[in-house]
Amino acid sequence: MKGVFDKRRLIAWLLLVAITLLYPLIDHAADKNGTLTASTFLTVAAICLACVKLRVIFREFMEVRSAPALLCRITDLWVVLIASVLIATYLAGRAVA
Amino acid sequence: MTTTEMRLATEAAEPRRVPGQPDMWVFVLVEALIFTSYFCVYLFSRTQHEQAFLQSQSHLILWLGVLDTIVLLTSSWSVARCVQHSRAGRYREAKHAALLTTGLGLLFLVQKIFEWTALIHRGHTFTSSEFFQHFFFLTGMHCLHLLIGFFVLGLLYLQLADPRKRSQETVETCATYWHTVDFLWVLIFALLYVVR
Repeated sequence: MKGVFDKRRLIAWLLLVAITLLYPLIDHAADKNGTLTASTFLTVAAICLACVKLRVIFREFMEVRSAPALLCRITDLWVVLIASVLIATYLAGRAVA
Repeated sequence: MTTTEMRLATEAAEPRRVPGQPDMWVFVLVEALIFTSYFCVYLFSRTQHEQAFLQSQSHLILWLGVLDTIVLLTSSWSVARCVQHSRAGRYREAKHAALLTTGLGLLFLVQKIFEWTALIHRGHTFTSSEFFQHFFFLTGMHCLHLLIGFFVLGLLYLQLADPRKRSQETVETCATYWHTVDFLWVLIFALLYVVR
């Protein structure tokens, strides 16, 4: 069984690294001739990707996957809460700016 | 029986339990909320002074942040393996994994000091702009958590090294703390280096 669990964690790590490497790609796509420009799409995408990584860390590395259902639900709720609050703050800030 | 069937059978046979001490989980969730509150302040500030933040942010090197993130993610993977080895009674391998985690944590710290030094040499300090005030505060607070993490990893190593002190619950609690250092950085990286 050791191999199966090792493989699962290795896949989780590869997924986390792959998501991290997506950032420069989407970041470059939002640049205009090397100048940084404000982008709601990039901001929302960055926050969502970070929260996906958060969930993978919780589930696979912090072993929430095999924890009682209550902890699974609380951590999922936390991830959704963090993503929602951050995106809402950013959008509200832009609306009143 | 296929590998998947074997895994499902083992999972069904194992009782579901909270990894480490429940108190540490309360700390993890509260810590995430405290940092999120600060992230909200930062995000709101940057929307009010968009151009100034973008101008300051352009002095950061995104690839350095990517490298930092990969180093910490690898350390998280390593400490997860440490827990697994310890659970299986493979204490020698568990100690190696704990040492690798510490080494990767130190590498992250060295990279951060290098980045701070380079920024300060170019005139970007805590008081030079609002963006860098947030940058140095957030990365500084994170590094404080990292330094506490080294103490926690030392405790974890001592647990593994001494057969009289070994406690799987303490090993899992220490690992949970280290994962917290990792996931906080995942959020800080996205907000400081990528968000526009």
